[in-house]
Amino acid sequence: MPMPPYWELVRALTIKDFKLRYRNSALGFAWSLLNPLAMMAILTIVFSTLLRSGIENFPLFLLPALLAWRFFSIGTSMALWSVVGNAPLVSKVYFPRWLLILSSNLANLLGSSLEFLALLPLMALLGMRPSPSALLLPLILALEFLLIFAISLPLSALNVYYRDVYQVWDIALQAGFFLTPIFYSADLIPGKYRGLYMLNPMARIVQCARKILYLGIPPEPADLGIPLLGALILLALGAIAFSRLEPRFAEEV
Amino acid sequence: MPMGPDAIRVEDLWKRFRIPHERRNTILEGLAAILGGRPLSYEELWALRGVSFSLGEGESLGIIGPNGSGKSTLLKIMARILRPDRGRVEVRGKIAPILELGVGFHPDLTVRENVLVYGSIMGLRSSEIKGRMGSILRFAGLERFEDARLKNLSSGMQMRLGFSVAIETDPDIFLVDEALAVGDAEFQAKCLDKFKQFRAEGRTIVLVSHALGLIREFCDKGLLLIDGGVAAFGDAGAVVEEYARRLRGG
Repeated sequence: MPMPPYWELVRALTIKDFKLRYRNSALGFAWSLLNPLAMMAILTIVFSTLLRSGIENFPLFLLPALLAWRFFSIGTSMALWSVVGNAPLVSKVYFPRWLLILSSNLANLLGSSLEFLALLPLMALLGMRPSPSALLLPLILALEFLLIFAISLPLSALNVYYRDVYQVWDIALQAGFFLTPIFYSADLIPGKYRGLYMLNPMARIVQCARKILYLGIPPEPADLGIPLLGALILLALGAIAFSRLEPRFAEEV
Repeated sequence: MPMGPDAIRVEDLWKRFRIPHERRNTILEGLAAILGGRPLSYEELWALRGVSFSLGEGESLGIIGPNGSGKSTLLKIMARILRPDRGRVEVRGKIAPILELGVGFHPDLTVRENVLVYGSIMGLRSSEIKGRMGSILRFAGLERFEDARLKNLSSGMQMRLGFSVAIETDPDIFLVDEALAVGDAEFQAKCLDKFKQFRAEGRTIVLVSHALGLIREFCDKGLLLIDGGVAAFGDAGAVVEEYARRLRGG
């Protein structure tokens, strides 16, 4: 029996997820630009005007990090629902279930890439120094995608069995927002905690986005290598968890 | 009667469902129970107990039996939707399951988008599906509803669409679970004609139905399930007769 062309299925599911994400609101894609812009305005007022962090060009310092974080937080929280939300498919027809998670992540990759593209002119306006390092953005997004996929696998599978997984993940994401150098610089972290702090793969990924778009310098090998190693370990664990939980999906969704 | 190699071979299939005594749907409840030293207890229900049979290519099988005898579970395992606890199923060729209502649609997508997704699950290229869109919509009688969202269709319309899209994906084996019951008489007749055509083309069909007349008339073989076990397997007429005899209490 010839292998069915699964990439056609992945494409169809990705298009489906992408359409559904923007279909149920009148402004659609505009919301996904308004949200980070509003966040940027608020954080700039708080940390640049009121608290005077002293960071040069705070809006541009913030924006790449904020978009990179949105890619992660929206990607994982959307994918968390990718099995439960497709219950009619899961309970009626067979196909490899992990394709649902992959497709959800791909739809989110598409959305986040468009956000970066749409806001690049604004970054230029804010005084972004044009640098060849900026061309590394797709590589950094690809690395982050791998991390998102690795985490989405166990999250989506657990969500089939426990209906409060999204609450737990929501708290984790809030903690992550503060434990990742988004609205502050990682230099502020005291030396004795720095090693531990930098184990968070998102810390380095967010810094990569900031380096190439704000500082105009290329990331160091460790900035890419350590998150890559982390993502691969998480992927292995996530895949094991997913394959353990997968057999009873159709009974539980 | 075309008699080829086995299209479906089912060997010693066992399937257990666990029905928890108390619902514990959240991590918090789970943690509380573990800390409180109350392990989760289950009621075990064996839906299938050692089912074996085989079906030749091009044969049609009718599965009958009382409610709760394991018919739908058996069909879902053959479709690879459920996984058995023991035993195995071998299937040669592409399977199209038409279970209960519909084949797996998303309520917020349009008719057309749903057809594209379903077709790709069944292994068709998007160009192939688009080429068949017209005939799928025509068979379902939904030409004017191509851009309607699925949740706005009646259950009968959804069932017709599911049926139409399943038969247009060129499966070798059909698994049909009471799917005809919702359709009106005209659509049922249309589907039966289709099934007759598929039989003539040598495709394999498995029907779960309470319509014993349909099974006797349409199927080569019958399988009577009682309490998850095979009570009778063989010529459809004889198996239906056996079931009728048991129903009379003979």
